[in-house]
Amino acid sequence: MAYLARRTAQALIVLAIAFTATFVLLQALPGDAILIKFESPELGLSPEQIADIRASYGADVPPLQQFLHTVAGFLQGDFGYSVQYGTPVHELIGSALPDTLALAGLGFLTAVLLAVALAFLSTLAPFGWLRRGLRALPGVFVSVPVFWLGIVLIQVFSFQLRLVPVIGADPAQALILPVLTLAIPISAPLAQILARSIDEVQLSPFVAVVRAKGAGPARVLWGDVARNALLPAVTIAGVLVGELIGGAVVTETVFGRAGIGRLTEQAVANQDVPVLQAIVILAALVFVLVNLVVDLVYPILDPRLKRKAVAA
Amino acid sequence: MPTQRPRRIAAAGLAALATTALLASCAAQAGSADAAAAAGEPVTGGTLTYLEHQPHTTLYPPQAGFYPNGGIVNNITSRLTWQDPESLEIEPWVAEEWTVNADATEYTFELRDDVTFSDGTPLDAAAVAKNFDTYGLGNTELGLTISEAINNYASSEVVDADTVTFRFSAPAPGFLQATSTINSGLLSPATLDRRLEDFGAGSSTEIVGSGPFVVTEEEIGTSLHLEAREDYDWAPPSFEHQGRAYLDAIDVVVTPEDSVRIGSLLAGQADAIRYVQAFDEAQVSGAGFEIVAAPTRGVNNSLGLRFTNPLLSDIRVRQALVHGVDAQEVVDTIFTENYPVATSELASTAKGYTDESDALAYDPSLSEELLEEAGWTVGAGGIREKDGERLSLTVYEAKPQPLSKQTLELVSQQLAKIGVELEVKAADAGSYATDILDPLATPLYHSMVGRADNDVIKSQYHTRNRNTLLSNDAELDRLLEVVASEPDPAKRDEASAAVQDYLTERAYVIPLFEEPQVYGAAPYVHGFTTEAVARPQFYDTWLDKQ
Repeated sequence: MAYLARRTAQALIVLAIAFTATFVLLQALPGDAILIKFESPELGLSPEQIADIRASYGADVPPLQQFLHTVAGFLQGDFGYSVQYGTPVHELIGSALPDTLALAGLGFLTAVLLAVALAFLSTLAPFGWLRRGLRALPGVFVSVPVFWLGIVLIQVFSFQLRLVPVIGADPAQALILPVLTLAIPISAPLAQILARSIDEVQLSPFVAVVRAKGAGPARVLWGDVARNALLPAVTIAGVLVGELIGGAVVTETVFGRAGIGRLTEQAVANQDVPVLQAIVILAALVFVLVNLVVDLVYPILDPRLKRKAVAA
Repeated sequence: MPTQRPRRIAAAGLAALATTALLASCAAQAGSADAAAAAGEPVTGGTLTYLEHQPHTTLYPPQAGFYPNGGIVNNITSRLTWQDPESLEIEPWVAEEWTVNADATEYTFELRDDVTFSDGTPLDAAAVAKNFDTYGLGNTELGLTISEAINNYASSEVVDADTVTFRFSAPAPGFLQATSTINSGLLSPATLDRRLEDFGAGSSTEIVGSGPFVVTEEEIGTSLHLEAREDYDWAPPSFEHQGRAYLDAIDVVVTPEDSVRIGSLLAGQADAIRYVQAFDEAQVSGAGFEIVAAPTRGVNNSLGLRFTNPLLSDIRVRQALVHGVDAQEVVDTIFTENYPVATSELASTAKGYTDESDALAYDPSLSEELLEEAGWTVGAGGIREKDGERLSLTVYEAKPQPLSKQTLELVSQQLAKIGVELEVKAADAGSYATDILDPLATPLYHSMVGRADNDVIKSQYHTRNRNTLLSNDAELDRLLEVVASEPDPAKRDEASAAVQDYLTERAYVIPLFEEPQVYGAAPYVHGFTTEAVARPQFYDTWLDKQ
């Protein structure tokens, strides 16, 4: 319990730092969203009209005051309005989040399945050349640009083979190609680490003991090696959540999906501070939660860690 | 009160029809997909899937210049008047007729009495007055900005239920055309009580207009679903087609990736798309699909030379730049026949155009002479120098302009030949927005603007409007003000020509090409047309899908 309380306190500090750093960085950038939207010559507004608009957005007060105002808003659950769209930020995020959660969740799941399949097959597969081939695959996957992969998948499976539509697809169909696009590059580091860690564990003395007792290779792999080899993979899985967010930006743009990734891209392009603030907090929150989950999973996988945690 | 004789609407309408027919018969690059004639009778029904390049940001008409916004506003609103996209004549729409006084400071419109908004409320004189009070004066409290197209607006007066008068503090000859633009799309009075924020993404279904379509569903940033209004029966009288739109519905799907947009069209997943890149045109037309390249009829895609930058203050340097750029090569290398080489600051299809091509001709040896004369001699690396300063200039890639980066890089190569360095920069939106307002950071500015009225040139260059030259030239402002305030149409054209002559003479602008909006449509899509500055018009569109 004390452990959880400490972790929650840590999480809050991380969130506060992320929030402040975002605000400072966005203030430091040249220009702002109002400049981009209203001072663009496209609208042909006069300087007096622009001054009025600045005042109406509260952008004419000093940055510190704006910061306090924003913090107060966030604490009350008011994220403000997007300058670019004029839409309330909670509405933008609320409509984008479910799509991204589905995409990222399924993408991650698929990546894990792919990684596990690759790692174990590359250990168990019958022929040496096949094992070597499977070992080489993650190296290929990790170097494939998400952007290119998405376009190739669309060209082949949607435009050439016409198996799944990109436009006018039902929600399930609409997930197939984006999930693959997202999963393949993410599965690569997972598979590499898992395979390497399987190799290491297989060389450890306790495996020799199990073997000596007459266990077959499959029994050894699933029963004894797998559990021990998972630990590094779980750690890297936590880090990969960050890549999921990055991958979502590209995937959602290529596939024209609404989601946090697209929203982020648009908000960055237009320096839409209220939206970016909310997204940064959201991303930080996800990171903190995932790392918490990872830390909680460790002792389950390795009882020795539980004892250490208790001792600490 | 001196009142000009009312325009002979019927005559103008007939003339416009005749012109349209004439132009349609030699249709090369008219803004309409007129395979309709060959395909037989229009069919009612069906849903058109239309792919947009970017998500729309607002449906507030004065801010609908951005094409994704304008494409929606054009289809969900009607306007007082309709501008024929070919003849550019102003025809009746919601207004049956109108009178303008001699100095164009007072306009009176007689309205049809059968027009309603999509929520059933009548579109009457009071509603129209409220629309123009908002667009002409803005509403600071609600954050609603004034419309760039409306100058010198003073007040409105509701004469009776079907008659409304507008008054102006100075002559406003461009107002009649302004009433036809999407920036003057008529919205219900209740809609105009919304804050600017409430016109943004996520609230599109609540925007109540008077056009042939209504937004019924929205997925923020991704798609809009528009449905035809069954009771729509007030198309401009000059249209052959009356009554409701042929299509039942339109799905507008945002597809930012170029190859996905093109691929979806060719694979039959979409029916029409906006923004076919020049290098993709051959692929689309080669597959038997139609390219619709609609002219934007305004200030050409061009480079403004900010003469308040010390390097460009010498007219000889500016002239050297103008003659050092080969627009023909730009078009031949990067674009297609749908991008005609500029022959003036204005497009040849724009109101008030005059040919300036002789004075703009590519002549690099003349450029070199001019630069020598101005004291710029070739220094290290072939770049000219004077008093230790290099003739080095900067231009930013302009994201809204098609293939801006490629265009600027080619221009940069051309200028290098005459010893001028042009650095092409790309920047995030914030730095861009800041730097383009500074003649030192951005001595050359890449832009264009479309509007089918003489006022367009004032929009682009007047210090109180877009001010793309960041000018301090009072004479230029004066000439532009004549364009915006001369009530006599012939004299207005002369005033516009005077501005073009002045811009050319002072070498303020390097015009490149006449920028179109390029759409792609499947062979079974008929009657896909655009309004006067190339925004899609789905009212006449029908599908012949077997």
